[in-house]
Amino acid sequence: MSDQIDDETMSAEIMEDGTIIVRGDIDIAGSPLLEITMEKQESTGTPLVLDLEKVYFIDSAGLRSLLAASRRAQENQKTIALRSVGREVHRLLEITGTTELFNIESRRD
Amino acid sequence: MIDTSDASNTSEPLESFSSSEPITLVLPPKPELSKIARLTGSALAAISGYTLEEIEDIKIAISEILIALIEHGSGSYITLEFLANKETAGSKSFAVYGQTVTKSFNLDDPDLRLCHTVLEGVGATPKITFKDQSAGIAAIITKTITN
Repeated sequence: MSDQIDDETMSAEIMEDGTIIVRGDIDIAGSPLLEITMEKQESTGTPLVLDLEKVYFIDSAGLRSLLAASRRAQENQKTIALRSVGREVHRLLEITGTTELFNIESRRD
Repeated sequence: MIDTSDASNTSEPLESFSSSEPITLVLPPKPELSKIARLTGSALAAISGYTLEEIEDIKIAISEILIALIEHGSGSYITLEFLANKETAGSKSFAVYGQTVTKSFNLDDPDLRLCHTVLEGVGATPKITFKDQSAGIAAIITKTITN
């Protein structure tokens, strides 16, 4: 049983253990869906865990969503965990100097 | 749908291809069309002999330009131009230019600054202009030819 929100280019699915599995492009079209999903999961009070194994593109709009969630987490003394981070996501985090704001649990490549 | 991974993995790319005239794409300012712009640009880059990593940079540059113009434009159509320049003096360049109508364009806006940072990070030389209610962003990605 899971709760999935998607459009044509991106989906975000909350699994039973609370992990959000993201698939597709986290861009200006997909980031609002990701934000809705993260806020929904945040409302449960559990730390956010995002599985990004199926994410092969992210831009600054997507990054802004992650950064906003990171700020909210920090306000509650929590962190956001990113799993299976691919080079695309990792590169954008490095370019913007925001890698340290997230707990990178594992890399895909 | 064009699959960029297939295009960039083509075993025999059209290495000599370069567009002497820009390829123009006119889009309504809808976020869901960002992928179409990326696919168009990456397809041109793929047949022009760019590597997968270079194409990833080009896709990000296209996306950043669209973010800026969609979020800060006045809702008018957005014109995108792609130009894969010929290889000269050991380098090649891929230019992306976007333009739309807007009433104001605050270059100090944090979201625009983030776009600018990302553009620089992928090796683009961004130039943002705002004049006569028209905002334009040019990003030229220059790559050194290693082979």
